[in-house]
Amino acid sequence: MWARIVEFMLAAWLSVSPFIFRYPDDRFFFWANDLVCSILIAFFSLICYYRPLRKMHLCNLLIAFWLIALGYIFRGDPLDVALQNYVTFGLLLLMVAIVPTDSEKPPMSWRDFYEKDEL
Amino acid sequence: MKKIALNAIPEPWEYNPSKWSQRLRISAVAAIAVFIAIYMGLYQWRLIGSVWDPIFGDQSMKVLDSDVSHKISSWVRIPDSILGALAYLGDIIFALAGSTRRWHDRPWLVILFGLDVIPLGFVSAILIFMQGFVVGSWCFLCLVTAVISLILIVLAYDEVWSSVLFLWRVWKRSRKFSVLWDTFWGKANPIAHEVGLEMAKRRDWRS
Repeated sequence: MWARIVEFMLAAWLSVSPFIFRYPDDRFFFWANDLVCSILIAFFSLICYYRPLRKMHLCNLLIAFWLIALGYIFRGDPLDVALQNYVTFGLLLLMVAIVPTDSEKPPMSWRDFYEKDEL
Repeated sequence: MKKIALNAIPEPWEYNPSKWSQRLRISAVAAIAVFIAIYMGLYQWRLIGSVWDPIFGDQSMKVLDSDVSHKISSWVRIPDSILGALAYLGDIIFALAGSTRRWHDRPWLVILFGLDVIPLGFVSAILIFMQGFVVGSWCFLCLVTAVISLILIVLAYDEVWSSVLFLWRVWKRSRKFSVLWDTFWGKANPIAHEVGLEMAKRRDWRS
């Protein structure tokens, strides 16, 4: 479950990024993007604690790709610090989001395979 | 049916390459490289004014400010040192994920870990060792991270080898792509179980 906790902490970082990097008030898109993405990342990481939805963390891969893409889409924008944050953050999220929930245990499929045999 | 023990020792080793002590050691070595790479990244971000170098002095800053470095940074949109730090951080993340039987249960994770450590490690080490000839300057801390990359390859290749060997034997036994695919992604199947058991059993009776 450590990967989900790291994802949640990354979401917290993204949510305070506009204040850390002092986004101008008129850059509404960047403010909204950071807020929405951080809420989604936190949601997808926490929902994994509900066992039937334990693979929902993979949705964070899409958000990671989106953030990395923003770094290229807005290339040349004066708010370069935010874009570098997106790319760095996106690459990190990409690596964490791929780690399975309950990764310290064997996959559910193998656990079921052996448990079925014991019954 | 006999279970494969979580601490099973796979061929061709006399120890379990997926054991925690092995993976924590890799994480600790990679963490040193992460700190060094972030330190150099802070200079490239101009958050610190200079870079410590006991041997080559100002040459380190020439390397970090070189055209090659700027070109890489413009491609990846972040300083190349930070990209390196993320790659080493990836080594830590992928080393810490998975059980002590992951060579068998999650080959995809071990292969991903191997791709991050082995080819990326070789490429970054070669690029760093080439800097003296391309840029005309040397960077002590860059060389330290290159040596760490090579150490990580030595520490990590055994587990990757066991997983590749396991997948190869599953393929040889089944000759079915679907079985290999399922095994790769950690989906249980009787053939993968048999092959895994054989790989672990031979070690059991030798010890």
